[in-house]
Amino acid sequence: MAQKSWFLKGDVVSGAVLAALGVYIISEARQWNYVGPEGPGPGFFPMWYGIAMVVLSLWLVVVSAVRPAVADAKVDWKGVGRAMLVWAVFALCTALLKLLGLLTVLALLTLFIVGVMYGKSLKIACAAAAGNALGFYLVFSLALNVGLPVGPLGF
Amino acid sequence: MDVLANLGHGFIVALEPLNLFWCFAGVFLGTVVGVMPGLGPAATIAMLLPLTFKMPPTSALIMLAGIYYGAKYGGSTTAILLNVPGESASVVTCLDGYQMARKGRAGAALGIAAIASFIAGTVGVVALMLVAPPLAKFGLAFSSPEYFALMVLGLAMVVLLAGESLVKALLAMLVGLWIAGMGIDLFSDASRFTFGNSEMLDGVDFVIVAIGVFALSEVFANMEQREEGTMLPVPKGLRNLLPTMAELKACRFAFLNGSVVGFIIGVLPGAGSTIASFISYGLEKVVSKHPEKFGTGVPEGVAAPEGANNSETGGALVPLLTLGIPGSGTTAILLAAFVLWGLKPGPLMIQDNPELFWGLVASMYVGNVMLLVLNLPLIPLFAQILKLPSYLLYPIILGISLVGVYTVSSSLFDCYMLAAFGLLGYLMRRLDYPSAPLILGLVLGDAMERALRQSLMMSQGDLGILVSRPISATMLVLAVLLLIMPLFRKFNSWRVRAIEENG
Amino acid sequence: MTLRTSIIMAACAAALAAGPAWAQFKPTKPVEIVVHTGPGGGADVLARFMTQLIEKENLAPVRFQVNNRDGGGGLRAMAYVAEKKGDTHTIAIFTGNWLTNPLVRAEAKFTLKDMQPVARLVLEPAVVAVKADAPFKTMKDFIEAAKKTPGTLKQSGGSQTSRDNVVRQLLMKSTGANWAYISFPGGGERIAALLGGHVNMMVIEPQEAGEHIKAGNMRVIAQVAEKRLAPYPNVPTLKEAGYEIPNVPQVRGVVMPSGVAPDVVAYYEDLFQRMVKTPTWRKYLEDQQFEDGFQKSVELGKFFDTFTNQMREILKEAGTPVVR
Repeated sequence: MAQKSWFLKGDVVSGAVLAALGVYIISEARQWNYVGPEGPGPGFFPMWYGIAMVVLSLWLVVVSAVRPAVADAKVDWKGVGRAMLVWAVFALCTALLKLLGLLTVLALLTLFIVGVMYGKSLKIACAAAAGNALGFYLVFSLALNVGLPVGPLGF
Repeated sequence: MDVLANLGHGFIVALEPLNLFWCFAGVFLGTVVGVMPGLGPAATIAMLLPLTFKMPPTSALIMLAGIYYGAKYGGSTTAILLNVPGESASVVTCLDGYQMARKGRAGAALGIAAIASFIAGTVGVVALMLVAPPLAKFGLAFSSPEYFALMVLGLAMVVLLAGESLVKALLAMLVGLWIAGMGIDLFSDASRFTFGNSEMLDGVDFVIVAIGVFALSEVFANMEQREEGTMLPVPKGLRNLLPTMAELKACRFAFLNGSVVGFIIGVLPGAGSTIASFISYGLEKVVSKHPEKFGTGVPEGVAAPEGANNSETGGALVPLLTLGIPGSGTTAILLAAFVLWGLKPGPLMIQDNPELFWGLVASMYVGNVMLLVLNLPLIPLFAQILKLPSYLLYPIILGISLVGVYTVSSSLFDCYMLAAFGLLGYLMRRLDYPSAPLILGLVLGDAMERALRQSLMMSQGDLGILVSRPISATMLVLAVLLLIMPLFRKFNSWRVRAIEENG
Repeated sequence: MTLRTSIIMAACAAALAAGPAWAQFKPTKPVEIVVHTGPGGGADVLARFMTQLIEKENLAPVRFQVNNRDGGGGLRAMAYVAEKKGDTHTIAIFTGNWLTNPLVRAEAKFTLKDMQPVARLVLEPAVVAVKADAPFKTMKDFIEAAKKTPGTLKQSGGSQTSRDNVVRQLLMKSTGANWAYISFPGGGERIAALLGGHVNMMVIEPQEAGEHIKAGNMRVIAQVAEKRLAPYPNVPTLKEAGYEIPNVPQVRGVVMPSGVAPDVVAYYEDLFQRMVKTPTWRKYLEDQQFEDGFQKSVELGKFFDTFTNQMREILKEAGTPVVR
């Protein structure tokens, strides 16, 4: 399988990250009562799944590191980059919700996706953005009367 | 027979034009609400309560119940078409339903969901009618040890959702357990993993994780390539819009499975439709002749959970109507509605208000029929959504996700969490970690921990309580068997290979 | 607080003296009632009933709308209200939780001191219930049994700071008995645990117990109330049964954001005073078996202080870490 080497590297890294998470969980769990007078305390469960997490993730790291790498490893880093870019814009949009309100943010998001990611012309992108925002306004604000975050302009 | 006579009376009530109208209004509204992620039947019923004060209680109850199970029907639509779970129980439908849509069988998936829901809903109503009081007693025998065993059984299902790497599935499940533990600890009032943030005190809402990990990750993954065309293949022609006879035949057991499992779990106060769908799905996979195909788009993988989450509605009404004990958020509001209408919910409610109970039961039959009739013709309509080009559909999905998450608690913090989980979901995809176990851990983790600690409090630290009681012991044994199963299979295949090599 | 109270009182007096002709506050848009539970929870049901009542009896010129802000054990609703300083069209239903929770939770950013008390409405008593076939006929039976086998008897209830547990802590301390407390997040589950025989006793609201008692599933062995409730003439209150502990009612009433003018407070006080006088309200109290605990803002403010201090002591005795 052409992807195996990437997975391998990914598995080692993700396994290590999860092991670290497990250690964090265990350290937090120690701060709480393991067993209280009336039964297991808040530290009981986290301790156990923390331990399980560390054990399993270390197992994963070892197994993946030992497995032989496949020669032609090809990862579509460009694709990953595109996906992460969209995510970053989305995350930025959620941060902007407070300032600009949902409809504006949605329009911006649509603009970005249609215009930048799919490379459509500016006209199409703007039309899509406006249409989307309008559609959401009609369906959610008017028809369903759901309260949406609003920006300084009232929408 | 007494029951038939009462049912007859009930139908007379249910078929009154006024009640028919309210039933339709309820199921229609419920379907709309179910389609929207985040907005659930509980909140809708609460919003409509003031309206109901001007109506006779029977009509009001018929409408509210209609919303309750209409929402179950609606939840499957976005799950199948957009990989966005409309409500928590629809998560399991996403697993195979969305995959069926990717193969061009979106119409068939929607059809199977509707049919399974109808069959299970009807079974639920029949069961409610016939076995409500004795079943309620059975429900009372369930307490924390049994719940714990049930949750363990549910978590053992992770083995069935694992796919290639069991280790990764287990790790995903553990992360789910961790997320489930965030928030205020019920017993000691300690705050766990809240990072000092008061918004984290309630933990992370399931909907946020599910939408982030399922829907958002799908969108981001699809963005890797600039593909033109539609997101999913559009089914053409009536043949492709409805399930084939072969598919329906494959679902025979699933229909039964979903109905029974859903109803029984519904009866237990505290266990909800999400766990019912997981267990039904797991059970279906266990008895299937081709378990490895689950997760790639098999019709039974849609029929079982969809059926379970519908008959759960009937089940949840059992403790409510026979004992006055609400089993879930939605039934709690129905209980509140009873009180506000001046009724006294409790063991005597059915005796004191027979027309209410039987009218409700009869209207549930009627409602189920209405929903089937409503939903089947809508399938071609919904399938048209798929005709939208991807570049238009993705922003819409992102928008729906945002709105859906925001409506849960009107919290912007939740939206930030959504972005975080979207990233997590995407990374999980790329690194080949299955997401269903994470959801499973999240859904069950909290309840399981609670049940275990309650059990140990009851027995003062004696773990034996879990195996000394028959029901919990049985379930624990089943769970252990489930967990050992893959070892058997592996052992078996080694054995076979060894024999082949030697022979 | 005293100076502020006097000013408020003087302002109210002046407002009243000026007569209805003077331009007093009247709401001009729908009023929001914030509750800290989801739909169906105790405060929510009360708020909905109040909205219904206000509309039916035409007590106000505008609609009242319930806003569910559940979460954080009530802290979300409290933060929401406290942050709406000066808003004259927002009120909230407070319960005993709003008083006790900030005492144990460091994350609480606001307490009731950051809000304006308006009126106290009801005091909810409770009853001590056991399964109908249990061997306990009186509270004494239960306490004796608990003393004989410490830690084996079990009570189902809500969170550690809920009224159920407070009653238990007080009883255990005053009698020296000891029994376990098992938290269940939902009322339904608590009742199910009792009816299924998994716990021995629970503290339950009388109207919840009512139907089960009629059906013969439950028995009441004591009342947590100042005086005996009408439907249980033969069951003694805890005090009457000889347990010298303070009565712990579940209290519910109305608060609003601080920073509002005195005539605004006076308007709402007056509104609720009229509301509690209506026959529908009286019937509601009777049906729900609530005690009328109407108090206006000034007395309510004092009540908050005494209650909080009392709770602080009780929690400290019970060993729960108190943060303020």
